[in-house]
Amino acid sequence: MATLRLHSLTGAREEIPTPSFVSNPRMLSPSFHCNKKRVSRRMTVNAMGGGAKYKGTLMREKQLTEMIEKKVTEAKQVCEGDETSDECKVAWDEVEEVSQAKADLRLRLEVEKKDPLESFCQENPETEECKVYEDW
Amino acid sequence: MAVSTVYTTQSLNSTCSISTPAKTHLGSHQKHVVLFRRTSKRGSSGSCAIKCSAGDSQTVVIGLAADSGCGKSTFMRRLTSVFGGAAEPPKGGNPDSNTLISDMTTVICLDDYHSLDRTGRKEKGVTALDPRANDFDLMYDQVKALKSGVAVDKPIYNHVTGLLDPPELIKPPKILVIEGLHPMFDERVRDLLDFSIYLDISNEVKFAWKIQRDMAERGHSLESIKASIEARKPDFDAYIDPQKKYADAVIEVLPTQLIPDDNEGKVLRVRLIMKEGVKHFSPVYLFDEGSTISWIPCGRKLTCSYPGIKFHYGPDTYFGNEVSILEMDGQFDRLDELIYVESHLSNISTKFYGEVTQQMLKHADFPGSNNGTGLFQTIVGLKIRDLYEQITSSKTAAPLEATKA
Repeated sequence: MATLRLHSLTGAREEIPTPSFVSNPRMLSPSFHCNKKRVSRRMTVNAMGGGAKYKGTLMREKQLTEMIEKKVTEAKQVCEGDETSDECKVAWDEVEEVSQAKADLRLRLEVEKKDPLESFCQENPETEECKVYEDW
Repeated sequence: MAVSTVYTTQSLNSTCSISTPAKTHLGSHQKHVVLFRRTSKRGSSGSCAIKCSAGDSQTVVIGLAADSGCGKSTFMRRLTSVFGGAAEPPKGGNPDSNTLISDMTTVICLDDYHSLDRTGRKEKGVTALDPRANDFDLMYDQVKALKSGVAVDKPIYNHVTGLLDPPELIKPPKILVIEGLHPMFDERVRDLLDFSIYLDISNEVKFAWKIQRDMAERGHSLESIKASIEARKPDFDAYIDPQKKYADAVIEVLPTQLIPDDNEGKVLRVRLIMKEGVKHFSPVYLFDEGSTISWIPCGRKLTCSYPGIKFHYGPDTYFGNEVSILEMDGQFDRLDELIYVESHLSNISTKFYGEVTQQMLKHADFPGSNNGTGLFQTIVGLKIRDLYEQITSSKTAAPLEATKA
C-alpha cells in the first residue's frame, strides 16, 4: 500500500550513498527493483497542472484523492444512524482534513509551481519517491 | 559569543534563567549578559553560567487563528513576504512538515501539537477542533522556549497519513508565528503572544469557498460539503469561535452588500476590527481617527466597474472592547484604484508610498488579491513589521538604562 512507502519516507533517515552530482535524474529509473508491495494500477499522469515532478508527490495526490472519496462514503454511512453523534462529527472532520490537505498540495503545485519533495529529493534522488516521470 | 563588558552584582535576580552554555544560540545580533558565579570551593566545576537575555534576543510571537489549513495559507505568505524572502519548508527534513521558514520568520502549524492522531481521535470520538485532541502543555513549553531563544524539537503532524511523525528541530527565529485552530485558547500561550489575529469567515463565505475548493474532487458534492461544515459547526462554535474576543485584530469576511442576493462569494465585504490600546499597535484609519466615515472612492477621479468599492471606518465595541473598524466592500479592478485607496489610508506603517500596492502586486495570483482580504492581510503584515521594530528597538534601549544604575 502507498502508506507503507510514505512511512519509509518519514521514518528514520538511512544513509544512502548518493553520487556527488546527478546530472540526469531520469537515468536512475527503470531497473530499480522495489521489494515492497507494488501498487497494482499503473500511475497515470494526472491533470493537476504545474509542478508535480516526483513520483512521491503523484502518490500523495492519488492517495489523498482516494481518501477523500473513501471518507465521504464512510461519513455518510456513519451519520445515517445519528447525525449528532460523535462518530458522525469525527467522520466529517476527517473529510475536511483530507480535503484541505489535497487543496494545500494543489495550491503548492499550481500557484507556487514547486514540488514539495524538491529539497528532499535533491538529497535522496535514488529513492522510489524521487523517481521523475518521463511521460511529460 | 563575545562578552564585551563584565559587571559585578550583589544578588542574582530570579528573572534570569539558568542554562548550560547552549550551542543553539545563533546570530551575532544576539546580545547576552552572562553572569558567572564564582564558587568558594576549590576543585568544583562551578561552571554555572547564568544567562539573562537582553536586547533583541527575544523572539516576537504572533498568533493567527484560522480554519484554513496551516502554514500554507495565503495570509502566511503575505506576512512573510512583507519581511522579505520567501518562506520555505525546512530543507532536507520531513517533506510533510507543516513548518515554513524564511530569513526573519518561522511559521509553526499548531496541528503539530495534536496529542491524538487521526486514529486516536476516531477512537475517542473527538474532532481536531476539540481541545482534548491537543497538548497545550507542550505548546506552551515550546512557544515559551522559542520566545526566550531556546531551540526545540517539535513534533510533526502529518496531514497525509494522519500520524505524528518524528520531531523536527526548530531554532528560535526573530519572529515566530503560530498558526492554527487554538493559538489563543490556552491562557498561558495567549500571554506569550505579542500580537494576535483571528480570521473570521462567515458561514456563507465558508460554504462558497469550500465549494470552490472541493467540487472538482471525486466523492464530493454540494451535500457532502454542506454536511461537513454542519457537522463541524458545534465544535467550532464551542472551541474556536470564542477566541475572537482575545484577538488584537479580527479580519471578518462576509458576503458583499453591493450585489443583492449574491451567493457566489466572489465579491466580498471585509472588516478589519482593530483593538484600541494594544501596545505597539496603532489602528489604521480613514480621514481622521475616531470619526465615522463612509467613502466611495469611485467617481470623477476614478472610474470603477460594477459593483465598485465602498469603504467604511468608525469606532465601535466588540465583545466589550473598544475597537476601530475599517471595512471594504467590493473589488479592485485596476492598479490605479489600489494606489488611490492606499494614498487615503493612514497609519498603514508603510516605509514608502505605494508599498501596500507593491506587496499586493507581488502576489497578484494569490486568492483575495483584488479585495479586502488581500488588502487587510497585507496591511496587518505591515503593522506586524512595525510592531516588531518597535519591540526590538525598545528592548535595546532598556539595558542602557539598567547599566546607568
